[in-house]
Amino acid sequence: MKKFDYHQPQRLSEAFHLMEKLGESAKYIAGGTDLIVRIKQKAIHPDALISLRGIEILRGFEVNGEVSIGSMVLFRDIERSEGLRKACPALVEAATVLANPQVRNVATPGGNVSNAAPSADCAPPFLVMEAMLTVEGPGGKREIPIEDFFAGPGKTIMDPTEILTRIRFPGTKKGTGTAFLKVGRTNQDIAIVNAAALVVMEGKKCRNCRIAAGAVAPVPLRLKKVETLLEDNEVDAELLEEAARLAAAEVQPITDVRSTEEYRRHISGVLVKKAIEQAMARAR
Amino acid sequence: MKKEIHFTLNGYEVAAEVEAHKMLLNVLREQLQVTGTKEGCGQGECGACTVLVGGLSVDSCLYPAFEVEGKSVTTIEGLVGEGNKLHPIQKAFVENGGIQCGFCTPGMIMSAKALLDENSHPSEEEIRRGISGNLCRCTGYVQIVESIEKAAHMNEAAPDKSTT
Amino acid sequence: MTEFSFIGTETPRPDAPDKAAGKALYIHDLTRPGMLYGKIKFSDYAHARIKHIDTSRAEKLPGVRAVITGYNTPEIRIGFIRDNFVLKQGKVRQFRDEVAAVAAIDPEIAEEAVDLIRVEYEELPGVFTPEEALREDAPLVHEVDVKGRPKTDNLVPVPWKFVAGDVERAKDMAAYRAEDYFETPLIQQSCMGTAGCIAEFDLQNNLLIHTKTQIPFLAQNDFNRALAAIGLEGKNSRVIVPTLGGSFGTGLDTHGYEYISILLAYKTGRPVKIVLTREEEFTALSPRQPSKSHIIQGCDKEGKLLFRDIRMLLDNGAYTSWGATTPSVMMLPISSLYRVPNVFYDTKIVYTNNTYCQAMRGYGNPQAAWALESNMDQLAEAAGMDPYEFRRKNANIPNDISPMGLNITTCGLKECLDTVAEKLQWKEKRGKQKGTGRGVGMASLFHVGGSGRVYRSDGTGIILKLDDFGNVSVISGGVEMGQGFNAALSLATAEALGVTPDRVTVISGDTATCPWDVGTHASRGAFTSCNAAIMASEKARRKVFELASEHFMPRIKSKMKRRKKKDPDFEVPDLDYERICDPSEFDMKENMIFLKEEPENPLLRLTLGDILREAHYKEQGTMIVTEAFYDPCNQMIDAKTCRGNLSATYIFGTQGAEVEVDLETGKVKVLNFVAAHDVGQVLSKQAIKGQIYGGVVQGLGYALSEEYKTSRGKNQNSNFLDYKILSAPDIDFPIEIECVETHDIEGPFGAKGVGEPGLVPTAPAIANAVYDAVGVRIKSLPLTPEKILEALAQKE
Repeated sequence: MKKFDYHQPQRLSEAFHLMEKLGESAKYIAGGTDLIVRIKQKAIHPDALISLRGIEILRGFEVNGEVSIGSMVLFRDIERSEGLRKACPALVEAATVLANPQVRNVATPGGNVSNAAPSADCAPPFLVMEAMLTVEGPGGKREIPIEDFFAGPGKTIMDPTEILTRIRFPGTKKGTGTAFLKVGRTNQDIAIVNAAALVVMEGKKCRNCRIAAGAVAPVPLRLKKVETLLEDNEVDAELLEEAARLAAAEVQPITDVRSTEEYRRHISGVLVKKAIEQAMARAR
Repeated sequence: MKKEIHFTLNGYEVAAEVEAHKMLLNVLREQLQVTGTKEGCGQGECGACTVLVGGLSVDSCLYPAFEVEGKSVTTIEGLVGEGNKLHPIQKAFVENGGIQCGFCTPGMIMSAKALLDENSHPSEEEIRRGISGNLCRCTGYVQIVESIEKAAHMNEAAPDKSTT
Repeated sequence: MTEFSFIGTETPRPDAPDKAAGKALYIHDLTRPGMLYGKIKFSDYAHARIKHIDTSRAEKLPGVRAVITGYNTPEIRIGFIRDNFVLKQGKVRQFRDEVAAVAAIDPEIAEEAVDLIRVEYEELPGVFTPEEALREDAPLVHEVDVKGRPKTDNLVPVPWKFVAGDVERAKDMAAYRAEDYFETPLIQQSCMGTAGCIAEFDLQNNLLIHTKTQIPFLAQNDFNRALAAIGLEGKNSRVIVPTLGGSFGTGLDTHGYEYISILLAYKTGRPVKIVLTREEEFTALSPRQPSKSHIIQGCDKEGKLLFRDIRMLLDNGAYTSWGATTPSVMMLPISSLYRVPNVFYDTKIVYTNNTYCQAMRGYGNPQAAWALESNMDQLAEAAGMDPYEFRRKNANIPNDISPMGLNITTCGLKECLDTVAEKLQWKEKRGKQKGTGRGVGMASLFHVGGSGRVYRSDGTGIILKLDDFGNVSVISGGVEMGQGFNAALSLATAEALGVTPDRVTVISGDTATCPWDVGTHASRGAFTSCNAAIMASEKARRKVFELASEHFMPRIKSKMKRRKKKDPDFEVPDLDYERICDPSEFDMKENMIFLKEEPENPLLRLTLGDILREAHYKEQGTMIVTEAFYDPCNQMIDAKTCRGNLSATYIFGTQGAEVEVDLETGKVKVLNFVAAHDVGQVLSKQAIKGQIYGGVVQGLGYALSEEYKTSRGKNQNSNFLDYKILSAPDIDFPIEIECVETHDIEGPFGAKGVGEPGLVPTAPAIANAVYDAVGVRIKSLPLTPEKILEALAQKE
């Protein structure tokens, strides 16, 4: 493996200072389970890594009406949080099937989101929760809606000197249900397709609906057409079938070594339908 | 870039001068000659390199050496007690056919330990989840799951004395 | 029914504790004094001329001790027909061609040096399927054959053809027939411990090589040839096998990296270690042979098989290795699985610029079974018969000779079929779960169980060495690769000799000290080594009893005297202490020697150690070392007729599954799996279960998720992220094993081989269950959800 320097700042300001000094050839590192693999595969060749593990304010999460998750919180903690599970079952479900225990013990939502793989498992839940991302850099702080965050496969709108520091979303109101589903080739797999749904139900009527799917487009995607189809309507079996068809049409998957465009398209429909059904069943 | 790191390894204080780009796995195998932990893929897919850091299972092939400073690391060797006495989990694997070629075994046992330390009575499904990050090509996992189940019962009788 | 003390028990494997403690030393863990690290530069093209190799920058890198290419080393030809070269000159024929190699003082410098080597290529058009390679105008992968004569096509001159009876006539007579095409992909063995070796020379230029191999003695032979090629004719190789992190056939050949390690060690005068990274394990090692089969089978009105016609097209890759010999094994199930009188089998093996293949567990049998057992279900359907009944009707029987001349002695196929049918509730479920997405399916296997004479010697030697304390070293030329060789051998020796297994130490894996063995392959390890151990144990027992004849009563006498001295109240029993017993009066069990006439008498027993020390510590004393060389009563098959009794006995088995197919996602969920295997006799219970469970799970990977993908010769998934072997949560259903014990006369304690069969019939069993579930037949592996959904859509 190509040699790199490894810096361990204890504060954000230190991290920014290092990044400004080291410039283009430096990268921030969170859990490292994506980044170090890419270095070993010679996909990237940074001269230096700036670790975020020592920066205290990036840790910790709060569920207090609003949910606020530090970008360096570990997936293992999200997986085990009863508070988060109540606030957003979809997020905890995603954390539960993301990779495996060893990865979850070091990996973070900040890393997962910043890495911006189209298949990032926590992206669909954050998308349906309409999470707000706090991004900080040497130039200051800004808040970005997650929907505007992804720019392409592996790309975000962040400047290379910026760090995702916090992920926030509001608490849900009465009658809300969320769900997350993932399909892989085997049990342990990157998503061939993943999807999340949030519904706010009033009896049989769906008042509000948010759907997101991953691994089916250059970025994790909100499926707005499906949302429009369902909102303010009574959701019956026929409508769900149409939602599935619409989802399959709305996504833009490709054929690659893992699966085919046709299959991903079809599965998108199946997962979206199932996610909506599950979310509806949980709505209270 | 080099640094001297200090950490606890299997209950002992150790120090090693490491290069910045090295992973914990390199430090263990190459510098400290603690070769029980294996490299199966180097990319965090197979779990052969699993060790415990602060009691949590991690893939040491992706764990930067500098991050080990001040932490407590347990490897497979750390489970063997005084007088070469096998830990109940190791014993359970031996007695229940959980080992064939043995290459996945150190990582597998460390994942089992992390699982049982947190959940002393796991269901079969929880056991399979607990070792989902450890690939085995020889056993088909059946006797491994049986070994961990047996170890869970043995744990009830003999509390675990090993360090985290 | 013999009562065994240790055979058939759950005694833990002797090698397990070290492995559990992290103490076992694999090639990755070994270092040698002054060791250098080697790294190989592979080709950047599938097919290209090498115009120039510039190694100057690599040579100048501090820490580099040698850089070699095909141009500054003697030519070493390797491979089954010697069409491969250790380092390439002139041209490269596949992406994994070795173009150069480096030895350096640490692995990072070696890697950096490899990157500094500049190779100039002139790309050539390549061929990437056998069909492409067979076209008139196809570029030639090899322009000349191994004798230097010009080649005009891409055919590999290794013709395999088997004919029995008159298939054409039988086709006319058949009442029912089924015809189809089946395909299997490249599969990677995926050992958890990658391949590697450390080569070094002593001061006399003899080679010492620690290497991951299943064939230490054949490897020694190969390496001696290589030594001759580099000017060291007459020098010897010593092959030492470390603990193996799995093998599954990867160790059945000697590999380019081993010879490169040898060349680097020779050049630098220092030990050189080469260990493959996981990526190199995928891209530079030889996977399982892929296959394309066209099969037709037919039966009469009553459902009796009349003929079987299979033609195969095999992608040989760029060089010839064991993949090209898989037809010789495929011939066994093709000619002999089920009783079929008329058989035609023909193969075409074609050079391409893809990776070449070698051995993987099953060695062609899984590929053949895929076609055979899928098609058997199709034929059963054409004949309007239930597939289980159909198989049973045509099942092999004991004491029968197959069209290939295979002498089937014990045969538990019917019991295996019945077991699977019963445990799967076949009669209640087959064809009766329409609309639920559930179905059941089964498939059987036929394989060698008493080794297989593929070389002129099929022998195995064992040396037994007894020490002063009654401990036994069993010195064997076989190899423990996780399959339980040490377990089986220590139990068999203990049982045969009359000691307890904890007294037995298996020592193996050193060509200088261990007796010759042809190799741990063909499921022969336990069968041959345990038979040799039984022979050597019988010799040892005879010697022990001869010594007992002289020393037993005198030793008893002196023990009595000593006891009397310690305890004056002890009444010395009135025995004939001067009697000279005949050796035939003695027996030995669980470390104790006693008189057969009085087995329970506590005073008339001595430990084995007692007798051995008496015999050793005296003037003109003696110690016991015995040996035996077991070469089974099997034959090489005739090169022309492809007939001969290849194995000393044969194994059978049936596997079955209940599956549930999700019609929305196409995913196949296994609900229940049953594996019934005719094993002759269980030796090590722990190990045999492990072999079958492990085989089944490998078989399920073969069936459902594994595929080594290439595009124009370049591997697309050389990591575990995208080459999907199954993990623990995938095995969330019961796997029930039934060992049918047919007590084979040839086998050690009646045992037959069991290393390979576990994964032979798994894939067709799953496919047959999927057909029962949703009515679609997938003909190429793996059965991915994509294929199933596509097939379902087409059905509509």
